[in-house]
Amino acid sequence: MSATDPATGDDDPTVEMANQADREEPDLDRGPIEAWAAKMISNPQRAYRMTFYVATFFFLVTTLFPFYWLLVVALTPRNNLSEVGVLLPAGFNPGAFIEIFITLPFHRYVFNSFLIATIATVAVLLVGSLAGYVFGRLRFRGRRPMLLLVLVTSFFPPAAFFIPLNRLFNTNVDVLRPLISAGSLYNTPYAVFIPLSAIFLPLSIFILMTFYSQIPDGLEDAARVEGTTRLGALFRVIVPLSAPGVATAGVLTFISVYNEYFFSSLMTDGRPGSWAPMLEGILRFQGEFEVLYNLMAAASIVAVLPVAILVVVAQEKIVSGLTSGAVKE
Amino acid sequence: MASVTLSGVTKRYEDVTAVDDMNLEIDDGEFVTFVGPSGCGKSTTMETIAGLTLPTEGTIEIGGRDVTDLPPKDRGISMVFQNIALFPHMDVYDNISFGLRLRKYDQTEVDRRVEEAADIVQLDGMMDRMPSEMSGGQRQRVAIARAIVRQPEAFLMDEPLANLDAELKVHMRTQLQRLHRELDTTIIYVTHDQAQAMTMSDRIAVINGGVLQQVAPPLECYNEPANRFVAGFIGSPAMNFLEAEVRDGGFESQHTSVDFDPAAHGVRPGQEVTAGVRPEDVYLSRDAEAAGSPTEAFDAVVDVIEPMGSEVFVYLLFDRDVETSVEGRGEGQLLVNLDPDTEVSEGDDVRVVLDRKKTHLFDRASGDAITHSIE
Repeated sequence: MSATDPATGDDDPTVEMANQADREEPDLDRGPIEAWAAKMISNPQRAYRMTFYVATFFFLVTTLFPFYWLLVVALTPRNNLSEVGVLLPAGFNPGAFIEIFITLPFHRYVFNSFLIATIATVAVLLVGSLAGYVFGRLRFRGRRPMLLLVLVTSFFPPAAFFIPLNRLFNTNVDVLRPLISAGSLYNTPYAVFIPLSAIFLPLSIFILMTFYSQIPDGLEDAARVEGTTRLGALFRVIVPLSAPGVATAGVLTFISVYNEYFFSSLMTDGRPGSWAPMLEGILRFQGEFEVLYNLMAAASIVAVLPVAILVVVAQEKIVSGLTSGAVKE
Repeated sequence: MASVTLSGVTKRYEDVTAVDDMNLEIDDGEFVTFVGPSGCGKSTTMETIAGLTLPTEGTIEIGGRDVTDLPPKDRGISMVFQNIALFPHMDVYDNISFGLRLRKYDQTEVDRRVEEAADIVQLDGMMDRMPSEMSGGQRQRVAIARAIVRQPEAFLMDEPLANLDAELKVHMRTQLQRLHRELDTTIIYVTHDQAQAMTMSDRIAVINGGVLQQVAPPLECYNEPANRFVAGFIGSPAMNFLEAEVRDGGFESQHTSVDFDPAAHGVRPGQEVTAGVRPEDVYLSRDAEAAGSPTEAFDAVVDVIEPMGSEVFVYLLFDRDVETSVEGRGEGQLLVNLDPDTEVSEGDDVRVVLDRKKTHLFDRASGDAITHSIE
């Protein structure tokens, strides 16, 4: 076609179509939608950009709108809850954000969760680092089967572990009596963070293993000759150079444990003094005769804050770790 | 400063023996180079000295102390690595002072020592640079400063110049010799480059297939190689070899025959030997008087000429039918190192002689040297 039409001077079919569209446009009596569709067809780049914006907008709305609606519900006074709108609260009662701490010691629930998630993250990173070092940097017989075995444990649904663990944690162990008043792990933070650490460990091992295996052997050798042990080389050289991986594993573990529902709700009796996590606190606003939706919503928003802050901080670390191009040599 | 002694060091991996019964004594303050082709076990030997690899058998002593089972940090050694191995997340100061800080030295002492080390390798004013902001040569100097700052009993250097460009390599070579003179410390150096080994070392340890072939000063390795491998490895370009058989009053190869007295040099007629002669010990017969003790002349054809400026390498064929191989110099080929003024051109017929005084004989089966002169 381009051969018969030298005026266009271009073989690109889209340009051809665009020219054609421009030329023929006045002749056709098209509606606005038809005209728009024709433009899209002649210039697919526009359609792609459009799709991108639509998808992004859709994603943002589906993720952020629930938060907004939580805020709307939280701000609605208790008596107007039945009239709550979609976009605007029925009334304005910021007091709900204070009430949650008065009605219940919600701060204690958040603290419990925060502590459990922090301990779990530290434990997972520590054990995961050791395992990641071994799987990523040492060669030994049985490495592959063992790695597979570790990964297999993460294939089971967490619920599968619940009953045996619950029985175990409710058993009185005399050895524990001096440490824990009841002698059993039920109603202690250990009952939550032990199973959760174990469940989220394989993923962290896998992430850390991949990162640690990429640190050149020479750096570890250099550290050991300079005066560290193997462990010292791991924590002074390999871990700092794998900062993005460590941050990723840490953030994933923290968020997962902090937000976890199943073990969190079943391994304690739900009282704040029994180390019940944040989730139990939110559910406590649900009474026998009444559900205080505004307080539940306010509590949910407060509970999200620590994680949001953590992600923002860690994000910066991850980005800085990536851009410094640490692992070059 | 200390001596280093290896006794019966052997390293086996599954079914591969990387280092086989290595016995070596390195004196205090000596510069010894381990040299050999890639995969010969020289790096593994060094790693056993450093403690990064534990030997399967044998013991290692540093300064008279058995360190075989000590971790690297307690051996009093420091090391410069092939890939330089600076810690990329630390600046120059932190890199150099890493070992001192781990050993809990006093801050003023750390500062003093770092400054001194940086001074020796001329790194002043770069203390807060990151390794990624430095050139290859600068990084290498930081690595050396990190090694000398702890004033170790011995330095181990594993191909430290391998990643530098040719010009810098030559420059660092002289720098390292000066450093050795200044510090007067035992240095063990690993390289596959025989030129580095020749130029820097007090003694060379030639290793092949995990077995120590010869330990001797560079010129001794060059002039009196212990076996055929050392003869072929040390010296560039490599020695010419002729497969020959001893007969009454001389030896005979496919293309040459040379007269000498077998009995006087420990060979008997009928013995299969390899004759070796370095390119610079082959002469055109018209220059035969330059050879100390020229052999009979034999015919050859000029194949390829490589002018190097100060000298010219001429590849000869014993006759025009010899097939050349891409894999290296074969039987029937002879490399001659001639004066650049010599007038030869490709395809010329020439007559050449060998210098009897510099002709080596090796036992064909074992490769061991029999004699280094057949005069």
